[in-house]
Amino acid sequence: MLSNPDFSTFKPWRRGNRYEDFELGQVFDHHWGRTLTAGDATLFASVALRYCPLYLNAEYAKSEGHDDLVVDPLLVLATAIGLSVEDLSEIGGPFLGVNEVEFEAPFYPGDTLTCTSEVVDMRESDSRPDTGIVTWRTTGIKQDGQVVVRYSRTNLVAKKGRRS
Amino acid sequence: MNLTSNNTYFEDFEVGMRIKHARGTTIDEVENQMLTKLVMNTASGHWNEHVMKDTPFGSRLVFGFITASMVIGLATQDTAENAVKELGLDKIRFKKPVFHGDTVYAYTEVLSMESTPERDAGIIAFKHWGVNQKDDVVFEGERRVLLKKRPAER
Repeated sequence: MLSNPDFSTFKPWRRGNRYEDFELGQVFDHHWGRTLTAGDATLFASVALRYCPLYLNAEYAKSEGHDDLVVDPLLVLATAIGLSVEDLSEIGGPFLGVNEVEFEAPFYPGDTLTCTSEVVDMRESDSRPDTGIVTWRTTGIKQDGQVVVRYSRTNLVAKKGRRS
Repeated sequence: MNLTSNNTYFEDFEVGMRIKHARGTTIDEVENQMLTKLVMNTASGHWNEHVMKDTPFGSRLVFGFITASMVIGLATQDTAENAVKELGLDKIRFKKPVFHGDTVYAYTEVLSMESTPERDAGIIAFKHWGVNQKDDVVFEGERRVLLKKRPAER
Protein backbone atom coordinates (compact mmCIF):
# COMPACT_ATOMS: atom_id res chain seq x y z
CA MET A 1 0.00 0.00 0.00
CA LEU A 2 1.32 3.45 -0.85
CA SER A 3 1.92 5.72 2.11
CA ASN A 4 0.59 9.27 2.17
CA PRO A 5 3.00 12.03 1.19
CA ASP A 6 4.42 14.25 3.94
CA PHE A 7 1.99 17.17 3.67
CA SER A 8 4.23 19.37 5.84
CA THR A 9 6.63 19.61 2.90
CA PHE A 10 3.97 21.05 0.57
CA LYS A 11 4.45 24.75 -0.04
CA PRO A 12 1.53 26.92 1.13
CA TRP A 13 0.08 29.08 -1.66
CA ARG A 14 -0.51 32.33 0.20
CA ARG A 15 -3.36 34.69 -0.60
CA GLY A 16 -4.00 38.21 0.56
CA ASN A 17 -2.00 41.34 1.36
CA ARG A 18 -0.64 42.83 4.57
CA TYR A 19 -0.29 46.41 5.68
CA GLU A 20 3.23 46.75 4.21
CA ASP A 21 1.93 45.62 0.80
CA PHE A 22 -0.24 48.74 0.43
CA GLU A 23 0.82 52.22 -0.63
CA LEU A 24 -1.14 55.41 -1.04
CA GLY A 25 -2.62 55.76 -4.54
CA GLN A 26 -2.12 52.06 -5.36
CA VAL A 27 -4.89 50.70 -7.61
CA PHE A 28 -6.20 47.12 -7.63
CA ASP A 29 -8.19 45.54 -10.44
CA HIS A 30 -9.97 42.84 -8.46
CA HIS A 31 -10.20 39.28 -9.67
CA TRP A 32 -12.91 37.30 -11.45
CA GLY A 33 -15.89 39.58 -11.95
CA ARG A 34 -19.34 38.17 -11.38
CA THR A 35 -22.38 37.84 -13.62
CA LEU A 36 -25.41 38.12 -11.38
CA THR A 37 -28.25 35.98 -12.72
CA ALA A 38 -31.93 36.20 -11.88
CA GLY A 39 -31.31 33.12 -9.72
CA ASP A 40 -28.60 34.90 -7.70
CA ALA A 41 -30.73 38.02 -7.37
CA THR A 42 -33.91 36.31 -6.20
CA LEU A 43 -32.00 33.91 -3.92
CA PHE A 44 -30.22 36.80 -2.19
CA ALA A 45 -33.27 39.07 -1.95
CA SER A 46 -35.38 36.20 -0.59
CA VAL A 47 -32.90 34.91 1.99
CA ALA A 48 -31.89 38.42 3.11
CA LEU A 49 -35.59 39.32 3.55
CA ARG A 50 -35.39 42.08 0.98
CA TYR A 51 -39.09 41.90 0.23
CA CYS A 52 -39.46 44.78 -2.19
CA PRO A 53 -41.28 43.64 -5.35
CA LEU A 54 -38.77 45.46 -7.60
CA TYR A 55 -36.27 42.74 -6.60
CA LEU A 56 -38.60 39.73 -6.63
CA ASN A 57 -41.46 40.30 -9.08
CA ALA A 58 -40.36 40.84 -12.69
CA GLU A 59 -43.82 41.92 -13.83
CA TYR A 60 -44.00 44.56 -11.10
CA ALA A 61 -40.50 45.80 -12.01
CA LYS A 62 -41.60 46.06 -15.69
CA SER A 63 -44.66 48.05 -14.65
CA GLU A 64 -42.24 50.46 -12.94
CA GLY A 65 -40.35 51.04 -16.20
CA HIS A 66 -37.58 48.43 -15.88
CA ASP A 67 -36.85 45.78 -18.53
CA ASP A 68 -36.57 43.01 -15.94
CA LEU A 69 -36.19 42.42 -12.22
CA VAL A 70 -33.87 44.90 -10.56
CA VAL A 71 -30.94 43.17 -8.87
CA ASP A 72 -31.00 44.07 -5.16
CA PRO A 73 -28.37 46.82 -4.78
CA LEU A 74 -27.27 45.23 -1.50
CA LEU A 75 -26.33 42.12 -3.52
CA VAL A 76 -24.33 44.30 -5.93
CA LEU A 77 -22.57 45.95 -2.97
CA ALA A 78 -21.89 42.65 -1.14
CA THR A 79 -20.51 41.15 -4.38
CA ALA A 80 -18.23 44.16 -4.92
CA ILE A 81 -16.90 43.71 -1.40
CA GLY A 82 -16.58 39.94 -1.87
CA LEU A 83 -14.53 40.35 -5.06
CA SER A 84 -12.21 42.81 -3.28
CA VAL A 85 -11.53 40.70 -0.17
CA GLU A 86 -8.49 38.77 -1.40
CA ASP A 87 -6.64 41.94 -2.43
CA LEU A 88 -7.73 44.15 0.45
CA SER A 89 -8.81 42.35 3.58
CA GLU A 90 -8.32 38.58 3.45
CA ILE A 91 -5.66 38.67 6.16
CA GLY A 92 -6.73 39.52 9.66
CA GLY A 93 -8.69 42.67 10.10
CA PRO A 94 -12.28 43.53 10.81
CA PHE A 95 -14.29 46.22 9.08
CA LEU A 96 -14.03 49.59 10.78
CA GLY A 97 -16.60 51.17 8.52
CA VAL A 98 -18.11 51.61 5.09
CA ASN A 99 -19.10 55.10 4.02
CA GLU A 100 -20.56 57.02 1.11
CA VAL A 101 -22.13 54.06 -0.70
CA GLU A 102 -23.83 55.36 -3.85
CA PHE A 103 -25.93 53.11 -6.10
CA GLU A 104 -25.44 54.97 -9.36
CA ALA A 105 -27.32 52.82 -11.87
CA PRO A 106 -29.68 49.85 -11.79
CA PHE A 107 -28.18 46.40 -12.25
CA TYR A 108 -30.21 43.78 -14.13
CA PRO A 109 -30.02 39.96 -14.27
CA GLY A 110 -27.25 38.96 -16.69
CA ASP A 111 -25.18 42.08 -16.04
CA THR A 112 -21.56 41.47 -15.06
CA LEU A 113 -19.84 43.31 -12.22
CA THR A 114 -16.12 44.05 -12.03
CA CYS A 115 -14.42 46.19 -9.39
CA THR A 116 -11.38 48.32 -8.79
CA SER A 117 -10.10 49.92 -5.60
CA GLU A 118 -7.62 52.67 -4.81
CA VAL A 119 -5.78 53.10 -1.52
CA VAL A 120 -6.86 56.55 -0.32
CA ASP A 121 -5.56 56.54 3.28
CA MET A 122 -3.31 54.43 5.48
CA ARG A 123 -1.88 54.82 8.94
CA GLU A 124 -0.51 52.78 11.82
CA SER A 125 -2.84 51.80 14.63
CA ASP A 126 -1.97 53.45 17.97
CA SER A 127 -3.77 50.85 20.03
CA ARG A 128 -2.69 47.78 18.07
CA PRO A 129 0.93 48.01 16.92
CA ASP A 130 0.67 44.77 14.92
CA THR A 131 -1.96 46.29 12.61
CA GLY A 132 -2.56 49.28 10.40
CA ILE A 133 -5.69 51.05 9.23
CA VAL A 134 -6.30 51.28 5.48
CA THR A 135 -9.08 53.02 3.57
CA TRP A 136 -9.91 52.18 -0.03
CA ARG A 137 -12.27 53.77 -2.50
CA THR A 138 -13.94 51.04 -4.55
CA THR A 139 -15.83 51.37 -7.83
CA GLY A 140 -18.03 48.65 -9.32
CA ILE A 141 -18.78 48.82 -13.05
CA LYS A 142 -20.87 46.74 -15.39
CA GLN A 143 -19.91 45.32 -18.77
CA ASP A 144 -20.64 48.52 -20.69
CA GLY A 145 -18.38 50.56 -18.39
CA GLN A 146 -21.22 52.20 -16.49
CA VAL A 147 -20.51 52.76 -12.80
CA VAL A 148 -23.11 50.97 -10.67
CA VAL A 149 -21.73 51.39 -7.14
CA ARG A 150 -19.06 53.42 -5.35
CA TYR A 151 -18.07 53.29 -1.70
CA SER A 152 -15.25 53.80 0.80
CA ARG A 153 -14.19 51.01 3.13
CA THR A 154 -11.82 51.08 6.11
CA ASN A 155 -10.34 47.96 7.72
CA LEU A 156 -7.76 46.98 10.25
CA VAL A 157 -5.03 45.19 8.28
CA ALA A 158 -2.44 42.86 9.82
CA LYS A 159 1.22 43.73 9.50
CA LYS A 160 3.84 41.20 8.44
CA GLY A 161 4.85 38.83 11.21
CA ARG A 162 1.42 38.59 12.68
CA ARG A 163 -0.06 35.15 12.34
CA SER A 164 -3.43 36.13 10.97
CA MET B 1 -54.10 44.54 -8.13
CA ASN B 2 -52.31 46.25 -5.26
CA LEU B 3 -49.11 44.35 -4.53
CA THR B 4 -47.83 46.72 -1.85
CA SER B 5 -49.44 48.09 1.27
CA ASN B 6 -51.07 51.48 1.47
CA ASN B 7 -49.11 52.71 4.50
CA THR B 8 -45.56 52.68 3.17
CA TYR B 9 -45.56 55.76 0.93
CA PHE B 10 -43.50 58.93 1.40
CA GLU B 11 -46.37 60.68 3.19
CA ASP B 12 -46.57 57.92 5.78
CA PHE B 13 -43.26 58.99 7.34
CA GLU B 14 -42.22 62.03 9.34
CA VAL B 15 -38.86 63.23 10.56
CA GLY B 16 -38.05 61.79 13.98
CA MET B 17 -40.41 58.81 13.57
CA ARG B 18 -39.03 55.69 15.29
CA ILE B 19 -40.01 52.18 14.25
CA LYS B 20 -39.41 48.76 15.77
CA HIS B 21 -39.92 46.43 12.84
CA ALA B 22 -42.36 43.56 13.24
CA ARG B 23 -40.07 40.56 12.84
CA GLY B 24 -36.70 39.41 14.08
CA THR B 25 -34.60 36.73 12.43
CA THR B 26 -32.04 34.22 13.58
CA ILE B 27 -29.06 34.25 11.24
CA ASP B 28 -28.20 30.62 10.81
CA GLU B 29 -25.27 28.92 9.18
CA VAL B 30 -27.37 28.36 6.06
CA GLU B 31 -27.93 32.07 5.39
CA ASN B 32 -24.41 33.22 6.16
CA GLN B 33 -22.54 30.38 4.47
CA MET B 34 -24.68 30.45 1.33
CA LEU B 35 -24.78 34.22 0.87
CA THR B 36 -21.15 34.88 1.88
CA LYS B 37 -19.98 32.32 -0.68
CA LEU B 38 -22.54 33.53 -3.25
CA VAL B 39 -20.81 36.93 -3.15
CA MET B 40 -17.36 35.26 -3.08
CA ASN B 41 -16.06 36.74 0.14
CA THR B 42 -12.95 34.58 0.59
CA ALA B 43 -12.01 35.55 4.19
CA SER B 44 -11.42 32.47 6.36
CA GLY B 45 -13.12 34.26 9.26
CA HIS B 46 -16.39 33.40 7.51
CA TRP B 47 -15.48 30.00 6.03
CA ASN B 48 -13.24 28.02 8.33
CA GLU B 49 -14.54 26.80 11.70
CA HIS B 50 -11.30 24.87 12.34
CA VAL B 51 -9.15 28.02 12.05
CA MET B 52 -11.62 30.23 13.94
CA LYS B 53 -11.80 27.86 16.92
CA ASP B 54 -8.26 28.93 17.86
CA THR B 55 -8.97 32.68 17.71
CA PRO B 56 -10.47 34.89 20.42
CA PHE B 57 -13.77 34.72 18.48
CA GLY B 58 -13.91 30.94 18.89
CA SER B 59 -16.14 30.43 15.86
CA ARG B 60 -16.87 31.65 12.34
CA LEU B 61 -18.28 35.17 12.03
CA VAL B 62 -21.26 36.25 9.99
CA PHE B 63 -20.02 38.50 7.15
CA GLY B 64 -20.95 42.06 8.15
CA PHE B 65 -22.80 42.77 4.94
CA ILE B 66 -24.96 39.69 5.42
CA THR B 67 -25.88 41.08 8.85
CA ALA B 68 -26.42 44.53 7.30
CA SER B 69 -28.51 43.11 4.44
CA MET B 70 -30.70 41.06 6.81
CA VAL B 71 -31.22 43.93 9.28
CA ILE B 72 -32.10 46.24 6.38
CA GLY B 73 -34.14 43.29 5.09
CA LEU B 74 -36.18 43.25 8.31
CA ALA B 75 -36.84 46.96 7.65
CA THR B 76 -37.43 46.65 3.89
CA GLN B 77 -41.16 45.99 3.85
CA ASP B 78 -41.78 49.09 5.96
CA THR B 79 -39.20 51.41 4.37
CA ALA B 80 -38.83 50.32 0.73
CA GLU B 81 -41.85 48.32 -0.37
CA ASN B 82 -42.93 51.34 -2.43
CA ALA B 83 -39.41 52.46 -3.35
CA VAL B 84 -38.60 53.88 -6.78
CA LYS B 85 -35.01 52.99 -5.95
CA GLU B 86 -32.56 52.75 -3.09
CA LEU B 87 -29.98 55.49 -3.46
CA GLY B 88 -27.20 54.67 -1.06
CA LEU B 89 -25.83 53.89 2.38
CA ASP B 90 -23.48 55.71 4.74
CA LYS B 91 -21.77 55.41 8.13
CA ILE B 92 -22.04 51.61 8.14
CA ARG B 93 -20.55 50.23 11.37
CA PHE B 94 -20.37 46.74 12.84
CA LYS B 95 -20.28 47.18 16.61
CA LYS B 96 -20.10 43.55 17.79
CA PRO B 97 -19.40 40.23 16.07
CA VAL B 98 -22.40 38.18 14.94
CA PHE B 99 -22.21 34.38 15.11
CA HIS B 100 -24.31 31.66 13.50
CA GLY B 101 -27.43 31.27 15.62
CA ASP B 102 -27.62 34.89 16.80
CA THR B 103 -30.95 36.65 16.39
CA VAL B 104 -31.27 40.23 15.14
CA TYR B 105 -34.06 42.79 15.39
CA ALA B 106 -34.27 45.99 13.34
CA TYR B 107 -34.95 49.51 14.55
CA THR B 108 -35.26 52.60 12.34
CA GLU B 109 -35.41 56.36 12.79
CA VAL B 110 -36.37 58.84 10.04
CA LEU B 111 -33.51 61.35 9.83
CA SER B 112 -34.71 63.60 7.02
CA MET B 113 -37.25 63.89 4.22
CA GLU B 114 -36.84 65.79 1.00
CA SER B 115 -39.48 66.23 -1.67
CA THR B 116 -38.28 65.94 -5.26
CA PRO B 117 -40.04 67.04 -8.43
CA GLU B 118 -39.38 63.79 -10.27
CA ARG B 119 -41.76 60.83 -10.41
CA ASP B 120 -43.95 61.97 -7.58
CA ALA B 121 -41.48 60.71 -5.05
CA GLY B 122 -39.32 61.96 -2.22
CA ILE B 123 -36.02 61.03 -0.61
CA ILE B 124 -36.03 59.72 2.95
CA ALA B 125 -32.87 59.23 4.98
CA PHE B 126 -33.22 56.44 7.53
CA LYS B 127 -30.94 55.42 10.37
CA HIS B 128 -31.05 51.68 11.03
CA TRP B 129 -29.87 49.65 14.00
CA GLY B 130 -29.53 45.89 14.26
CA VAL B 131 -29.82 44.58 17.82
CA ASN B 132 -29.05 41.00 18.90
CA GLN B 133 -30.78 38.72 21.43
CA LYS B 134 -28.64 40.20 24.23
CA ASP B 135 -29.75 43.77 23.37
CA ASP B 136 -26.32 44.62 21.96
CA VAL B 137 -26.21 46.83 18.88
CA VAL B 138 -24.37 44.79 16.25
CA PHE B 139 -24.93 47.02 13.22
CA GLU B 140 -25.84 50.62 12.52
CA GLY B 141 -25.97 52.64 9.36
CA GLU B 142 -27.80 55.22 7.31
CA ARG B 143 -29.68 54.60 4.10
CA ARG B 144 -31.38 56.83 1.53
CA VAL B 145 -34.44 55.67 -0.39
CA LEU B 146 -36.39 57.39 -3.17
CA LEU B 147 -39.91 56.53 -2.07
CA LYS B 148 -43.13 57.01 -4.07
CA LYS B 149 -45.75 59.44 -2.94
CA ARG B 150 -49.22 57.95 -2.57
CA PRO B 151 -50.90 57.76 -5.98
CA ALA B 152 -54.24 59.52 -6.37
CA GLU B 153 -56.19 56.27 -6.75
CA ARG B 154 -55.13 54.93 -3.32
